[in-house]
Amino acid sequence: MAAAVAVPEHKLSESPNSRAIEIFDWTVTAKTGPISSAAQCDALQASLGIPHPEMMFGYNLLQIKHRPSGWTYAFRSEDALRGVKSGPLEDGDGGVKVGYADTWLKSRTGADSQIPLPQMVATKPYDWTYTTTYAGSLDDAGSRNAQWTPAEPSNAHHSIPIAELSRPDPILFYAEIPLFDDELHDNGASHLLVRVRVMPTCIFILSRFTLRVDNVLFRAHDTRVYHSFASAPPLVVRETRGWEAPHERVKRALPRRDDLMPLTDPNFICKVLSDMPKEVSQEAGAGTGWRGLGTVVQVTTLQP
Amino acid sequence: MPSDLDSQIEQLIQCNPISEEQVKRLCIKAREILIEESNVQVVDAPVTICGDIHGQFFDLMELFKIGGTCPETNYIFIGAALPSPTCLVPMNDPGDFVDRGFYSVETFLLLLALKVRYPDRITLIRGNHESRQITQVYGFYDECQRKYGSSNVWRWCCEVFDYLALGAIVDGRVFCVHGGLSPALQAIDQIRTIDRKQEVPHDGAMCDLLWSDPDDITGWGLSPRGAGFLFGADITKTFAHHNAIDLIARAHQLAMEGYKLMFDQTIVTVWSAPNYCYRCGNVASILELDEHLVQEYKVFQHAPSDVRSVPLKRPPADYFL
Ligand SMILES: [Mn+2]
Repeated sequence: MAAAVAVPEHKLSESPNSRAIEIFDWTVTAKTGPISSAAQCDALQASLGIPHPEMMFGYNLLQIKHRPSGWTYAFRSEDALRGVKSGPLEDGDGGVKVGYADTWLKSRTGADSQIPLPQMVATKPYDWTYTTTYAGSLDDAGSRNAQWTPAEPSNAHHSIPIAELSRPDPILFYAEIPLFDDELHDNGASHLLVRVRVMPTCIFILSRFTLRVDNVLFRAHDTRVYHSFASAPPLVVRETRGWEAPHERVKRALPRRDDLMPLTDPNFICKVLSDMPKEVSQEAGAGTGWRGLGTVVQVTTLQP
Repeated sequence: MPSDLDSQIEQLIQCNPISEEQVKRLCIKAREILIEESNVQVVDAPVTICGDIHGQFFDLMELFKIGGTCPETNYIFIGAALPSPTCLVPMNDPGDFVDRGFYSVETFLLLLALKVRYPDRITLIRGNHESRQITQVYGFYDECQRKYGSSNVWRWCCEVFDYLALGAIVDGRVFCVHGGLSPALQAIDQIRTIDRKQEVPHDGAMCDLLWSDPDDITGWGLSPRGAGFLFGADITKTFAHHNAIDLIARAHQLAMEGYKLMFDQTIVTVWSAPNYCYRCGNVASILELDEHLVQEYKVFQHAPSDVRSVPLKRPPADYFL
């Protein structure tokens, strides 16, 4: 039994679509609202140059601000979508087609196809899976112009302390903020969901991108941001991890072979992918050559 | 049978599933009716056209409040009754999503029971979701297993899917289809020659009708996903002209304002699932065509939050790592 931690002084505020907590030198704000309107989506589409995801939570936002330095870090859908490839997919982009693309095309171009393909116009290429390695937006670099630098493996403070985060301390503030969802036209699913919890000792964020392309692959990209209130000078740790595996391989991990529902659960997908040997899910992946595979840990130090 | 059926409809309207034996008989009866229907059902105005429902049973009740009950109102459903995957994502508590307000079984069976009771007052058109493959991945199979303890109900429903019409034509002037057009079809009459009584194929005209989308292009385009057609304004207008129709009404895509007209009003996407997945906050609509085919889009909101199980509450705090 862990010793109970003291709950520090903090202030919660709430309006219909926004909630915030002030604690120590920090303000954490979560905004959640309905999906963007057609007009907002059209404007976004024009600015991004790619069709918007079916469910676009343009209003949603998570922002953390270190008041003394002004350093402000945020997660928002528009920025996440700027990381989605617009234009022809190249090496490293990890482009894929739907599972039946070959059959579909062959049935229309093969010698025995009853219906030849019509004259086709080139549609604007983009990554229809909305794969993004988005790791947040630096809204304000703060007074010291803080930048991310590689973590030192020997420095214990330069990693995310799972033991501390596993402790059942009281959660002072919690939010789930969807940024976008797309059902890939019933060929799978692409989600980006940000979660935050403010604990008596720390702020912890997990932004999770998950992708399922039916009969093709699973892909995930996690960004974790951690700040300990005890760090001096204030330190923020950011860890990104990318995984990928063929659809078949993840399916083998199902607890019951005839129950496919866990395949629609991002937590199940990420658990299976992260439990695989590194050479499988963080190196070989699904053989797409996606550059998002692997792990990167970085830190930034703020002006106290 | 009618009084039996009436009590089953009464029961389903309360969102209570009927017995396995009743489902079996309902599905057999439905097949007998649907097998007589042509690929493109001929419907007379006035009629009300509805898009995707996605298992949001209580929102279907809102739809009937706005549009009137069947048989008083004549209906065409061009959308998917069944849920889609995003909705089924269990957020934190895996036990939670059983209760998240997905009633695809009740939704589909109610529409089917109305079809059997009032065959001339409701037309059901097949969507790409009404297939074995999609329902296995996307939750309907699971829901049947959970509610009936076996896959029988799922199997009987799938057999009904194979008999659903592929389209409808209202007074010869409004063509209704789930997805869109096909390069293999210039005339609506050509649809009548398709052998529809099968699982949705991955190729051919039947596939296109259930899957394709209008897009801001000229001519035909291949979807960047590697399968599926996109069609532009010129294709749509030529099709409308050749077939002497005023409007193509389709579903298949989320329209934030409930409906979306494109290409000088020659095609409309109708979306009938408000607050999609119980968190999108969007409105929905139905399209009423009066006896002169004048279009009125009736926009409606989701069912009040106090109805059973609709998860509008905040997700519980979770010790995610
Ligand atoms: Mn559809």
